[in-house]
Amino acid sequence: MSLGLLLIVAFGGSLLTYLLGKVSARTRDAFAVLISLALVVMVASLYGKAFRVPFYGGFLGMPLVLRIDGLSWLFAIAASVLGCLSVVFSLGYMKGKERTSFYYSMLLLVIAAMLGVVLSGDLLSLFIFWEIMSWSTFLLISYNGGPALAAGMKYFVMSFVGSLAMLAGVLTLHGSFGTLEFTGVAAGMSSASPGYVLAILVLFGVAFGTKNAIWPFHAWLPPAHSEAPSPFSAVLSGILIKMGVYGFLLLMFVIVGLRTFLSLGVGRIEFHTVLSIIGAITILLPTFIAIFQNDAKRLLAWSTVAQAGYIILGISFGTSLSVAGGMFHFLNHAVFKALLFMVVGAVEYRTNGVRDLDSLGGLIKRMPVTFIVAVIGVCGLIGVPLTNGFVSKWLIYKTLILERSPFLAFAALFGTWGTILYSYKFLHNIFLGQLPQRYEDMERAPFTMLLPMTILSVVVVLFGVLPGIPLAVIDTIGVSFGFESLHVTPWGIASDTGALNTVNMLVAALVGLVVVWCVFRSGARSVSVGQADSYAAGAAVPRDKYQYSVRFYAPLRRMMAPYLKDFVDSFYMRLAGWVRGLGDGLRRIYTGYVGDYVMYILVFLAVLIFVQIAWSPW
Amino acid sequence: MRILWFVLSPLMALAVGLFFLGLSRRFMARIQWRVGPPLYQPLIDILRQFTQKSVSHGPLFDLGVVLSLASSFIVVLFMPLGGTAPLSSSGGLLAVLYLMLLGPLGIALSGGEAANPNVSIGISRKLILAVGYEVPFLMIVLALMTYYGTISIGEIVAAQRESASAIASFPLVFSGIAYLLILPAMLGVRPFEVVGAAQEISSGPAAEYGGPYLALATIQHGLTMFIGISLFVNLLWGGASNPVVFFLKMLVVFAFGFWVNAAFPRLRVEQAVRYLWRWPTLIAFVGLILVATIGR
Repeated sequence: MSLGLLLIVAFGGSLLTYLLGKVSARTRDAFAVLISLALVVMVASLYGKAFRVPFYGGFLGMPLVLRIDGLSWLFAIAASVLGCLSVVFSLGYMKGKERTSFYYSMLLLVIAAMLGVVLSGDLLSLFIFWEIMSWSTFLLISYNGGPALAAGMKYFVMSFVGSLAMLAGVLTLHGSFGTLEFTGVAAGMSSASPGYVLAILVLFGVAFGTKNAIWPFHAWLPPAHSEAPSPFSAVLSGILIKMGVYGFLLLMFVIVGLRTFLSLGVGRIEFHTVLSIIGAITILLPTFIAIFQNDAKRLLAWSTVAQAGYIILGISFGTSLSVAGGMFHFLNHAVFKALLFMVVGAVEYRTNGVRDLDSLGGLIKRMPVTFIVAVIGVCGLIGVPLTNGFVSKWLIYKTLILERSPFLAFAALFGTWGTILYSYKFLHNIFLGQLPQRYEDMERAPFTMLLPMTILSVVVVLFGVLPGIPLAVIDTIGVSFGFESLHVTPWGIASDTGALNTVNMLVAALVGLVVVWCVFRSGARSVSVGQADSYAAGAAVPRDKYQYSVRFYAPLRRMMAPYLKDFVDSFYMRLAGWVRGLGDGLRRIYTGYVGDYVMYILVFLAVLIFVQIAWSPW
Repeated sequence: MRILWFVLSPLMALAVGLFFLGLSRRFMARIQWRVGPPLYQPLIDILRQFTQKSVSHGPLFDLGVVLSLASSFIVVLFMPLGGTAPLSSSGGLLAVLYLMLLGPLGIALSGGEAANPNVSIGISRKLILAVGYEVPFLMIVLALMTYYGTISIGEIVAAQRESASAIASFPLVFSGIAYLLILPAMLGVRPFEVVGAAQEISSGPAAEYGGPYLALATIQHGLTMFIGISLFVNLLWGGASNPVVFFLKMLVVFAFGFWVNAAFPRLRVEQAVRYLWRWPTLIAFVGLILVATIGR
């Protein structure tokens, strides 16, 4: 399987989808699904391969190269699978909406660009695909217009700053080493001075950090995730922002190299420790902001920022366990967060766009399957044992504790407790509590939505019970970075520093549940009653009069709200306002009167003449 | 031997948990100059409840309460109760931290389906209170794991047997004190009885429970007490070499955690969190800093 063909199918598919949309909507839908499936198959067939191919001879005298190895395969398979599921989900979600051809075409373009990013073998191709990705993302975020356009602009401006930093980095590297291929740059970097390497890390770090939305570059993410169409939010949160993680991994362990990366620093302050601390901040602050969100998607968006913190903390801490944990958490987050965004998408679809947590409720009665997958997704997000999130977080906690970093471990663990709060609120306010009268006749989610959600929830449990499947792939990547192997077994790891055995837990859980269930069943049977038939201490609870879920954590909010302002975002917004003011000021100069312009020229000439007479510099 | 413990641990937890429930009622009664019910009253209640008919609000209403109790039993399997823990190589203390929250979460999911305002308020309070005591609790647990350089409860117990108990050794004494200060909150007894406040929100999460549901929820409450206390005995008081000593140590800790119950009125949930985030957190934090800087 050639990499060039893969990208041609991906990009060509995107274009053809748009053109087919002009002919027939059904053909277009089928074609989009087919293309995304083909991509999954093609990427899967590349498993275990490692090679490079130049695909374009001389761009400014440099060959553009594609390459594949374990790292890029992992990201490529995640991107193609999530992309495919998202396209399938979109079939129902986008039915009857405007500009669907454009939507599908852009969605496929984003997937193609992500594949391009991870398959690039040199920094220039990486940059080109990165830009295609950013632009098409912008178009999809602002698809709905209105507030979505503002969210898109915010994304675009911040992304653009990141791109500029990356371009500066690429140009610097080219100036120093004359090549942009990863292997060549890596060879050059090994003899470069620490200060130079640090500067390159920071430049690329801004680009990757913005994409990955780590604090303080996170401000674009919450509005963008909440305003984008839900199937695309799943891709955006699940895999697209993880391109930043890919970038970090590539930069830290492939280009700079493990040993150099861990020894970098200014004086006693180590660069990777600083990055870990940023990761810890990225966990804590957004988690507690998420607790008080009332928009389901915004809650998930803040949660995405927080989970990105775990990933960054893991990979920058730089031990074999933590890097494996970080990479595994990236994969897990892609699965459960895409799942949760799809859940919101399904709810939104059936309630005509309601995602306000204060006005939903009781939907478990109407969408039972959606509820079950939501619970599984939430368990993964919290990291309940026997779901995938547990294993990846366990790896990170464990190494933080054993390497004597209890404060970072505290941030990670306490972040998990915050996660429980917002996850439960998410479940309770959508699915539990009272069912409002207006949703009494609501239908279940359509099959095209249930299918991708079910697949993802199966993966959440599968990776939790048999974490060895993905960990085997991740372990090979870790070994290629220069870490020692984790000794992966199908149900966990068997390293000297402590074993993990999920099968024991599974058996105990099953036996425990069965025994308790039998005891419970042996008691007197219960009578099924409706929701109105509840005990309220003598007072009847009137129907649809109260919404119990409103201000769910009010007491905590009263305590914490003053400390939870997003200072970074207000700073950016003030900066933006200031720039706009500057723009307005500048615009006043352009009055449109020829006379004024003539006067500007005369004044300018007069100044020049004065300068020449006074100091005669010319 | 290990196979035997798989059966013994849950039974011991069940018996001791119910005993604590009975003892606490008796304890309360004596302080209030009453005779109080017999010690085995909780057992009688539970057996009676199993024969009583109740209402169900749906499948999750049933499943949640089962999940809650089952997960509490699984946590017990991680504890060495004066012997070896049946599940010792399955993630250690980190897994216990997670499994401990499945108990309240199961009740929360079950109660959530009931669509009862008191239940929702109770759950919200429970989660807020948990965030309150988890801050010092995590600091304590992290200090212990960092100090002994392991995440396994068994190894922490073994390390204490070689030297002194954690609570009697220098930096960890702070963690021990902090644990005692948050113990009433973890056990959910007054003044931290905000979750199941009977007079305020009709027993909160348990408002819709009756019959077998109430029985399971009661057992779960007993197990929560058992887990909170046995964690203290294992992590800070060196565990024990046989179950009898272990039980006696638990009894002492129980008495210590419970005496405040009778002496204080109930706090509001914010007051509880504010208390938990002040002194216990400060002391636990000092302990953690000392462990991180001085070490062993």
